[in-house]
Amino acid sequence: MKTWQKLAVSNAAIRPFKIRETVLDTIRSFFKKEGFLEVETPLLCENPGTEPYLEVFKTTLKAQNFSDRPGFLVTSPELFMKKLLAAGVGSCFQICKSFRNEEGVSAFHNHEFTILEWYHVDADYTDVMTDCENLLLRILRTVSGDETAIILTYQGKEYDLSPGWERISVAEAFKKYANVDIDELLTEESLLKIGQEKGYSVTETTDWEEIYNQIFLNEIEPNLGKAKPTIIYEYPASQAALSKRKESDPRFAERFEFYIGGLELGNAFSELTDSDEQRARMQEDLEMRKKMDKYSYTLDEDFFTALKMGLPRTGGIAVGVDRLVMLFADVASVRETLFFPINEVFDFSVTESDKK
Amino acid sequence: MSIVKAGNIRKGMYLLHKDQPYYVTHTDFMSPGKGSAFMRVKYRNVITGNTEEFTYKSSESVEEAEIQSTQMQFLYVDGSDSVFMDNNTYEQVEIPTVMLEDKQGLLTPDIQVYVMFYNGKALGVSLPPKVRLKVTYAEEATAGNTQGQARKMVTLETGLEISAPIFVKEGDTLVIDTDTVSYVSRAN
Repeated sequence: MKTWQKLAVSNAAIRPFKIRETVLDTIRSFFKKEGFLEVETPLLCENPGTEPYLEVFKTTLKAQNFSDRPGFLVTSPELFMKKLLAAGVGSCFQICKSFRNEEGVSAFHNHEFTILEWYHVDADYTDVMTDCENLLLRILRTVSGDETAIILTYQGKEYDLSPGWERISVAEAFKKYANVDIDELLTEESLLKIGQEKGYSVTETTDWEEIYNQIFLNEIEPNLGKAKPTIIYEYPASQAALSKRKESDPRFAERFEFYIGGLELGNAFSELTDSDEQRARMQEDLEMRKKMDKYSYTLDEDFFTALKMGLPRTGGIAVGVDRLVMLFADVASVRETLFFPINEVFDFSVTESDKK
Repeated sequence: MSIVKAGNIRKGMYLLHKDQPYYVTHTDFMSPGKGSAFMRVKYRNVITGNTEEFTYKSSESVEEAEIQSTQMQFLYVDGSDSVFMDNNTYEQVEIPTVMLEDKQGLLTPDIQVYVMFYNGKALGVSLPPKVRLKVTYAEEATAGNTQGQARKMVTLETGLEISAPIFVKEGDTLVIDTDTVSYVSRAN
């Protein structure tokens, strides 16, 4: 039975959607109270973000008197929001749809998903960590109706959301959970050797990023956010295309993610404000996209104009709203937070071979 | 020896990992956006019975465990084992019931299944897509709870409890999907 059909036969089926409404309302009231401006930016654009590993949805824009041109659905509203920051709107937030193609159909992914982004001006990634702690506690208390609540119960496990989340750097986590030293971590040759010793498949084509992520996913991620949320911060610079490098150690970037129960909920940066460095990194991304046979497009020149005008010192973050709702509604999958999950919009039971 | 790309691993496959055979129970394709694609696999070591998780690079090659299968009849449960017999040779094999997972509640004494072997050791069974089971207990539907309660739990002859529509009665025979272990229809 599809989700929308369940609503007709079960009074209980609406529950996660009521919680979804409360979570969205609470996010809005939280940021408005903090003085953030709510903005809306385009979902359809000509120059989407350049993340090499994300694939976009491509369409064609047809307009009278103009030739057809490619159009893309955004993978996040980031570039548009940064233009607004350069224009001086101040701290701002947005809740909108974003689209990522080639995702798996899984409990935690939907190709079309709801993203929350906020940009905190005159702030850096550490201020955004505090925002996260305060926002999640606010949502917990509103959803539970208990102004003293600090415990989130999710799938039978308890998580203490009170501020003072666990904070661990990527380098510390590699040492603690995978026994990899910082110097071994940052050199391709030594990391591949360690990967091989650990029993991961290493061939001539295996690169640093693959082993870094495979160790992270197998040995580190399952330990994150166990009894309270974990903020894991300061990523190797190569893993943070839009993020400022750490001044005291430029091998790392001022990026963090936060996790509850091994699940990633948000990804934050001290935003890179240097237009030349940004252009170089995005150009590299585009080259990489070409190599990986992804859609190609041109860079968003407006974005560099904005960076040249000057971005205020800003910390920004993207949070998966469907995952947040999943946690607070205590359901096992993001599909249960959507009236129409992707597998009920597209019929995956019909495969190519069936059609023939 | 057959090789599968990790990105193509599916539930129900048998894989070799560090020379041990594993039965895949769940897969998640992950493309985290900050890196290349990975396949997170939950599987059970079919020798030890332990459930484990491993994340593969989706491009890497993984060896499938060579599994033989033989059609056999389910006989009975003996302590912690379930016993099956080959109707041609009358040879019997025992499989720890824990290895059958949710399939155990679908086994009736006349059912023909495929028993899977690895290196001569029986590890699990593969069922026909649908089986028929008799309802041994179903609460009477009352008019009061039809609103929003169009389903109820019923008990089947194997002791398995499943959710079924409210019109299902004791003595009915139900068609059950063995992959999802869920109600399909009433037989006849």
